[in-house]
Amino acid sequence: MALGFWGVGLPLLLFGVLFCETAAQRVTVILLAALFGLVGTLIDRAGR
Amino acid sequence: MKLAAVDWLFIGWYLALSIAIGLYYSKRAGRSISEYFLSGRSLPWWLLGTSMVATSFSSDTPLAVTGIVVKDGVAGNWLWWNFMLGGALTVLFFAHLWRRAGVMTEVEFIDIRYSGRPARFLRGFKALYLGVPVSCITFGWVTLAMVKIIQAVFGTSGTAALAICLGLTVFYTTLSGLWGVVATDMLLFGVAMAGSIILSVVSVEKAGGIGALVEAVKAAGAGTGKDYLSVIPPLGQALPLAFFVALFVQWWAVYYPGAEPGGGGWSAQRMLAAKDPRHAVKGTLWFTVANYVIRPWPWILTALAAIVVFPGLTGAAPGEMESAYPRMIAFVPKGIAGIIIASLFAAFMSTIESIINLSGSFLLNDFYRPFVRKRASEKHYVAVSRVLVLVVSLLGAGFSYVLGSVKMGWQLVMELSAGIGLVLLLRWYWWRVNAWSEIAALSASAATAIFLKIAPDNALARWLGSALERAGFQVDAWGVGILLIVAVTTGAWIAATFLTKPDDEAKLLAFYRKVRPGGAWGPIARLNGQRYRLQAAPFAGWALAVVMTVSLLFGIGKLIFLDWAGGAAYIAAGAAAAFALSRIIARIDWEGQ
Repeated sequence: MALGFWGVGLPLLLFGVLFCETAAQRVTVILLAALFGLVGTLIDRAGR
Repeated sequence: MKLAAVDWLFIGWYLALSIAIGLYYSKRAGRSISEYFLSGRSLPWWLLGTSMVATSFSSDTPLAVTGIVVKDGVAGNWLWWNFMLGGALTVLFFAHLWRRAGVMTEVEFIDIRYSGRPARFLRGFKALYLGVPVSCITFGWVTLAMVKIIQAVFGTSGTAALAICLGLTVFYTTLSGLWGVVATDMLLFGVAMAGSIILSVVSVEKAGGIGALVEAVKAAGAGTGKDYLSVIPPLGQALPLAFFVALFVQWWAVYYPGAEPGGGGWSAQRMLAAKDPRHAVKGTLWFTVANYVIRPWPWILTALAAIVVFPGLTGAAPGEMESAYPRMIAFVPKGIAGIIIASLFAAFMSTIESIINLSGSFLLNDFYRPFVRKRASEKHYVAVSRVLVLVVSLLGAGFSYVLGSVKMGWQLVMELSAGIGLVLLLRWYWWRVNAWSEIAALSASAATAIFLKIAPDNALARWLGSALERAGFQVDAWGVGILLIVAVTTGAWIAATFLTKPDDEAKLLAFYRKVRPGGAWGPIARLNGQRYRLQAAPFAGWALAVVMTVSLLFGIGKLIFLDWAGGAAYIAAGAAAAFALSRIIARIDWEGQ
């Protein structure tokens, strides 16, 4: 499950940087990518 | 609309991840039917609550909310926000009882609560009714909605992608059981929310930014005499009957998938799969907050932006209002559009996987095992479960071709069981409710709904309609129909209860000892020698849960519309209610009495 969140968060970050057209879009996508990373980490810790 | 290769790359990658997560759990799910349908009763609150909200977030939900907002403004959402009252009731009064009951399914509850032949009939009937027609109608309308979205975005060329997505979802769900469902639900809910948030940002930008959006929506409202931004129903004017029914009747009377009075269907399945009663309570609370506070605002923002971007939308046909949501995807840049499409697939998949796993549980646990083959190995039952899940999927897919419209599907389900909610609530807290009560409620509700379909303009409906008009309501046929169904059903099941014998004392006593409900259990409590009482704390908790949910919902809305003071006040009220509620939840002994 954690890998799934990291696996979505990483391309989200990449796509946000590469394809967003405005600052608001870029900030939103990067924040969401960070959130995916954070949730993935929390799930990973809960699993341990 | 034509997607770029990078968009398809993201969609393909996301699908591969979801399937990998699902398949990872297939071995564990194959151990027993408890693992396959209840994840071995080991789910923590955050996993079961997120799975509930992911299931509730279907591909057609953003479209329905868009249609509501374009037609009636933000306050129109009270047509479904009212279910938060029932949701909070389930948190404080029912979630722990479900877990204590320790049954496999909602339908098996009948076996531990009622006695005799009526109970056997009711269990078999409900297993087939919920497992086949209700599941297929729900599957059908969710799939049909997704077909319409895909066609609105791609034309017919997207249908093949949808068929692949559906096939893969059925494949991993069949193998991985509830383990795969709840694990993928976590990711699917995240992707679905991410897509709706990104789309709302793009939509607001297209409308000129939040300040310009607010001004333009106010101007559009001035033209039609509506306040599109108000979150409060129009209580000061002649109250539309639909709102009255939603606020005061629907949440306790109507059995709607995902908002069953007292919990049922896939929400009960997840409470039953909780680690313990406390996790069931906390998970259901998380579902209520996520469902009513976190989900709606991105959709509402997209809908409001659509009013500005597509002039004349407020006077369009309902179908056109709803399709404004997928039409906004055209403004999303290349590379990001794939995320939005993946989010719609995610919403679709999370609902479909839960429906088919749940229907399999009814058919296996409440029909096949008690009536077809009583004693067989766990391996055999798991194999049969997988076959049943596959069969229901095929039937549901076929049903999506038969169903005329999405609205037809959910209206059918809602109307056929519009009056049964009260008996489902009271069966936990009143010893006298028996199998005949439920049989009478189901029959009366369905019979009245069918009668109203055949003769909508009958004398009784006309009399009730004019009486309500005299009382100052703006009357509509749907509201009158629901009130009639609830009145007839309630009268029928109460009469049936008193005209038939109570259940066996031994059965009632065993239930009372196992579940330990408070309420009206007089003679059984005396037999038990110890009376379990309803405490005041859950009542206070219910009120606080509603205040918290409404305050946070309104507070986020105020902040989005740049009303900082109003937003801060609502958030502070919500936080205070959340703190008081957390104290109450911590003090109640959910495992004991």
